[in-house]
Amino acid sequence: MIRSELTKKIALQGVAVIIVGAALIFFWNDLKKTVMAHSQTSSASRIYSIMPSLLSDLNLILLISLLAVLFGVVCAFYLEEWLSATSWVRRFIESQVAFLIEIPSLLYGLLAVAVLFHYTGVFKGIGTPPPVQNGIESGLEVVVFQHNTAMFSAEVLIFILLVMPIALKTTQEALRSVATPIRESAYVLGANQWQVLAKQIVPLAFPRMLAGGCRALSRALAAAALLIGIYIPNHTTGTRGIPDRFMLFLVGALLLSTISSFLIEVYDPATARHD
Amino acid sequence: MQTEQREPILSIRNLNVWYGDNQILNSVSFEVQPRQVTALIGPANCGKSTLVRCFNRLNDFTPNFRFTGEILFKGSDMYANKTDVTALRKKIGMVFRKPEPFRCSIYENVAYGARISGINQSSQLETIVQKSLQKSGLWHEVEPILHGTPEQLSIGQQQLLCIARALAVEPEILILDEPCGELDPIETVKIETLVRDLINDCTLIFVTNKRRQAARVSDVAGLLYHGELIEFETTEKLFTNPQDTRTEQYVTGRLG
Repeated sequence: MIRSELTKKIALQGVAVIIVGAALIFFWNDLKKTVMAHSQTSSASRIYSIMPSLLSDLNLILLISLLAVLFGVVCAFYLEEWLSATSWVRRFIESQVAFLIEIPSLLYGLLAVAVLFHYTGVFKGIGTPPPVQNGIESGLEVVVFQHNTAMFSAEVLIFILLVMPIALKTTQEALRSVATPIRESAYVLGANQWQVLAKQIVPLAFPRMLAGGCRALSRALAAAALLIGIYIPNHTTGTRGIPDRFMLFLVGALLLSTISSFLIEVYDPATARHD
Repeated sequence: MQTEQREPILSIRNLNVWYGDNQILNSVSFEVQPRQVTALIGPANCGKSTLVRCFNRLNDFTPNFRFTGEILFKGSDMYANKTDVTALRKKIGMVFRKPEPFRCSIYENVAYGARISGINQSSQLETIVQKSLQKSGLWHEVEPILHGTPEQLSIGQQQLLCIARALAVEPEILILDEPCGELDPIETVKIETLVRDLINDCTLIFVTNKRRQAARVSDVAGLLYHGELIEFETTEKLFTNPQDTRTEQYVTGRLG
C-alpha cells in the first residue's frame, strides 16, 4: 500500500523531471552550436575575458552560499525556538524574509549580472566592429579583467540575499510542522529544550529542512549559471571549460530542486502520515 | 472518604490568567490533597486545560500568557525564579486528550523519560519499562511487540502507552487532561479503572467535561464555569448536595 503510493509519487515526479531535463538537453545542443559559430566568426574580436576570474569567484561565492544556507538554518532555529512570537526582532526579520522570498530568483540573477556590467563594462563593445590592434598578430586583443574586491563583495551579498531567506523560511516552516503535542509530550516528561530539539523536533523536521536547503542552493546554482551563460557568446577562448561549468550548474540546480520536492513528497513524515 | 487534613501537595491561591487581554481564569483558589483523584469539570472553553497547564508550567510556551496569584507545589512557589522547570515537570506529569506517541518503538517511548534523566543501562531501563507498562495494564498486550511502532496499537492502547510513558518518570502528580476524549466506551472504562488504581502511586488531577465520569473516578471535584471555580467539594457532596445553583444545574444537566 505504502510502497505503491511511493512508486506512484516517484513516477509522477519523474514526468516533470524528464520534461525539464529534455528541454535542457535541446537547449544545450542549440547553445553549443551558437558558441561554436561565434568562436569561428569572431576571430578578430576584442575579447574582454573576465571568465577566469569569474569562474574562480563563483566557486567561492557558491561556497559562501552554502554557509549562508547553514546560517539561515541556525537563524531559523533561534527565531523559532528561542524568541517568542511577539518579540519585535522576530517580527522584523520575518517580515523582511517574507519580502525577500517573494522576489523571483531571476531578478537576483539579473542584479548579479548588472553588478558585473557596472564593474567590468564588458559589453560596451558589443555590436561595434572592434579595432585591430597593432602588435597582435592574429588581430585578437584579450583584455583580462582583474579580480575586483568590490564586485566580488556585491556578488556575494546578492547570493546571500538569494539563498538565506529561503533557507530561513523553509526551516522555520519545518520546525512549525512538528505538531505542538509532540513537543509538549516531551516537555512534560521533563525534557529540556535541547533534548526536545535533538530527539523529537529535528528528526521529524529534517526532511523538510533538507528540502529547504536544497531549494536555496538550487537557486544559487541557477543564478551562477545565468552569470556564466550571459558571457558565453562574448567569450571565445576555451569554449570547452566554460559551457561545461554552465551545464554543470544548470543540472545541479535541477537535481537539487528534484531532491527537494522528493524529500517533501516522499520522505516527510508530516505528509506521509495522512496516507 | 477520609476527613483528616493533610499537607496539600498543590495549593492554588487567587490565580488569574490572561492570554493577551482575554481573561481565562478569574481568582481560582483551591488545594489538591495527596493520593486523591481531584476532578475538574466544566463545559468546553471554561479554562480547565489552561488551569492544569499552569501546574507544570506548560503555559510558559504560550505567547501573551500572564498571570497573577500563586501556585505552591509542596509549599514552594513553582513560578519562583529559582525553580528548575524541567525538574518540576518530571514531578508533575501530564497526559493529553489526544494520545501522541513519539515516532519510535513502544519500548523507546516508555524509556524516553528515563533516558533523558540520564539512565542508560539497559537492565535498568527494561525494569522501568516493564514496571510502567504493567502499572498501566498494557504489558501483556504489548510484550510481544515491544520493539514495534506504536502506530499498530488502537487509540485506547496508545493512550495507555502515554500514561505508561508518564508513569515511567515516577511523577508525584499526574494530570490527565480529558484522557478519554477520543476513546470509545470500553477503552474509557479501562482508563477510569486505571485511574482508581493509580492513587497508590501518585496524586491525580482528572480533567473532564463528562459529569458522570467525574462522579465515578474522583474523590474531590471542582466545577469551573467561565473561568471561575464555582464550587470545590468532595465529589459526593458536589454531586448530591451542591451549594451553588449553577453547580446544581450543571450536575443535573441543565447547564453547560
